[in-house]
Amino acid sequence: MPQNNKVLITVTGITLVALFWIYWVSVNPMDEKAMVKFISVQEILQTVNNERVRIGGIVADGSIAISSTNKLEVAFTLKEGDSLLPVEFIGTRPDLFKNGAEVIVEGLYQDGSFHADILQTKCASRYEGDLRNASYYNLDEIEI
Amino acid sequence: MTPVLGSVSLSLAAGFGILSVILLSLYIRSGDYRFFLAGRRMAIIVSALVIIATLMLVKELITSNFDVDYVAHYTSIETPTIYKFTALWAGQSGSLLFWVFILAIYSLIMIFQNRNRYHRMMPWVLCVVLTVQLFFLILINFITNPFEPTNADFVIANGLGLNPLLQNLTMAIHPPVLYLGFVGFTIPFAFTFAALLTNEKGSLWVRSIRRWSLVTWLALSCGIILGGWWAYQELGWGGYWAWDPVENASFMPWLTGTAFLHSIIIQEKKNMLRVWNTILIMLTFALTIFGTFLTRSGVMSSVHSFTESPLGPIFLTFVAIIVIVCAILIFQGLPELKSDKHIESLTSRESGFLFNNVVFVTMCFAVFWGTIFPVISEAVKGTKITVGPPFFNQVNVPIGLLLLLLTGVGPLLAWRKTSRRNFIRNFSFPIGLALIAAVVFLLSGFRGYVVISLMLSVFVVVAIVTEFKRGIQARVNRFGESSFVAFRTMVRKNRSRYGGYFVHLGIVLMFIGFTGQAFNLKKEFGLGINDREHLGNINFELKQLLEEERPNHFAWISELLVTGNDGNTITTLRPEKRIYFHRDSNPERRQPHSELDIHSTLKRDIYSVFSSIDTDNDIAFFQIMINPLVQFVWYGGYILVLGTLVALWPSKRQKLLT
Repeated sequence: MPQNNKVLITVTGITLVALFWIYWVSVNPMDEKAMVKFISVQEILQTVNNERVRIGGIVADGSIAISSTNKLEVAFTLKEGDSLLPVEFIGTRPDLFKNGAEVIVEGLYQDGSFHADILQTKCASRYEGDLRNASYYNLDEIEI
Repeated sequence: MTPVLGSVSLSLAAGFGILSVILLSLYIRSGDYRFFLAGRRMAIIVSALVIIATLMLVKELITSNFDVDYVAHYTSIETPTIYKFTALWAGQSGSLLFWVFILAIYSLIMIFQNRNRYHRMMPWVLCVVLTVQLFFLILINFITNPFEPTNADFVIANGLGLNPLLQNLTMAIHPPVLYLGFVGFTIPFAFTFAALLTNEKGSLWVRSIRRWSLVTWLALSCGIILGGWWAYQELGWGGYWAWDPVENASFMPWLTGTAFLHSIIIQEKKNMLRVWNTILIMLTFALTIFGTFLTRSGVMSSVHSFTESPLGPIFLTFVAIIVIVCAILIFQGLPELKSDKHIESLTSRESGFLFNNVVFVTMCFAVFWGTIFPVISEAVKGTKITVGPPFFNQVNVPIGLLLLLLTGVGPLLAWRKTSRRNFIRNFSFPIGLALIAAVVFLLSGFRGYVVISLMLSVFVVVAIVTEFKRGIQARVNRFGESSFVAFRTMVRKNRSRYGGYFVHLGIVLMFIGFTGQAFNLKKEFGLGINDREHLGNINFELKQLLEEERPNHFAWISELLVTGNDGNTITTLRPEKRIYFHRDSNPERRQPHSELDIHSTLKRDIYSVFSSIDTDNDIAFFQIMINPLVQFVWYGGYILVLGTLVALWPSKRQKLLT
């Protein structure tokens, strides 16, 4: 018996439409947050553009400044290699956000400062660091 | 002493593995049964040695032997015993050992189950399983050995310990459950591979791997749902799925595995779609290894993955070898695999299964494409692009809705061909009700995907309920049973079918939950005592702000009175801001943690996070979310698990077979 042509045509049709759909969405994403360029701090300092970008780096030591009027507002310096970038963010900060934390920010670079609307920290599955510094830490012995 | 023994066990396991493969090849060449028996014995020894090594690592972890680097890195003296144990899969080398450990257990079960069966296939099955074991054993022995001694010239007083945020029971069991699912696909893969090589045609082995795949699929589903549930309860961003590369890594084999579970039914019943099934299970297996690669290599910047390691290229090579070997095998076996029977009609159950397969694979491709797009873009254009959830949602929503439609249509189609009369009889009622529902939803002001999704949900539920009703009615008429007895007997007589329908119901509930996301609300604000803010038609008033010092942390506890617009109290939420290690002299080691509070009802969740606190002015900052219908996702999950258990429960006939 020959393969049923209707079945074959329908399957091929569905596949082609679906593949085209996937291609179409990757070329014309509806949301500007769907596909965002990931660039380095150095790159963003050199180019001037109003494009939404994502940047990763380390929170420079001692750079965190929380606004005294609105505790949700924070400014800090993002460090990647030797390049430094001032960042501003308003919103809930992740718990792991602190000096030296590895973070990813997403937003726009305007007037010499990066206005982030997404701030994520890398999730550490353990404490990084030197075993030499791991202190003996017994919760029962803490004076209260 | 134990670390040395552990290391030696792992080396011996690799040695015996190679020996076993050689013996089995000798059997395949010469047909001398003694080679097979010896080879199989060696395979048992390999698994036994792996299990012994794992137990030794567990012992080191529990007794805190910090001379072992792994123990010193992932546990500390204060780590509670349960988390010392779960540290087994907290790090890279431990989790790879855990992978082979699960495979060892599966392998032993498989060898025992089939000790008197499939004499032609078994040597190949064992060879495939051993090759996978050897791959991981080589990684563990040469690249990342969990028994590596600490490289230090001082006495280590304490280990670094596990992040307290990960000391959570759900988080502790999520990885092993997921691994049970990942690793389990190795066995059906090995059988399919062997069947292809030995040109095995019978359907008995198909039935046994269908059960394997179902167990594995259940574990994978549970792992995925648990991960989402944990993220929702603990992470505080208000969602359960972020399309993170590692989440996708578990979702892709789930998609192809689900497709496989459907089309294997056709192979078992009709001996059709064999090429498809072979491709699907091989794809699923390759995706589990690829998934392990995504988790372990750090190629994708993901919150889950470990930092860059030399494992990446090795894993990728292994995946490439699997894909190439499978492709060659399928191509060579094509004439044998092709069935002499063909799908007769577009409106048959068979083509329903085929469409379902195509859509599942397409969705898998869409997820795959989005996941590797950053890598491709970097290689081709030199710019790294990150692909966010909006892309995955936009691509997958229509594909998902198509799947939902098929969930309802498939079971209503008859085998071979649905006659026009049957078509009208089976479809008119569900379609009618779905259309009425659509009109009601449109009149209630819903638009777009939401209406389609809810309409399809109604369609599927009605279709399933009528299927149940029809089956019960037939028994009542024929045997004069009561409806309940008829229902019970009917399910018992065909567990996989009706279990499958329960799973479908679970999936519909989950879709309803996903649809609720379209109405999510979110707001961030600061409140002083007795201040009030609103989100939607719900008001939040800060009644109290308490401080409390607890054994291992300091907490600010807020008390938010939640009222409706009519003034009626809905609930009181008490999200907390905690500081762990608050007495540590080094402020960098103090660890803030937001303990969120959720008020859940079937209709909606009110989700509160205590973001930060202004102690000078006594202002607490909150992030509040209103997430409608989230509970449906979890209830759908429960029903999915129950349905799968119904399908898996051994029937009398199966007991006789084994």
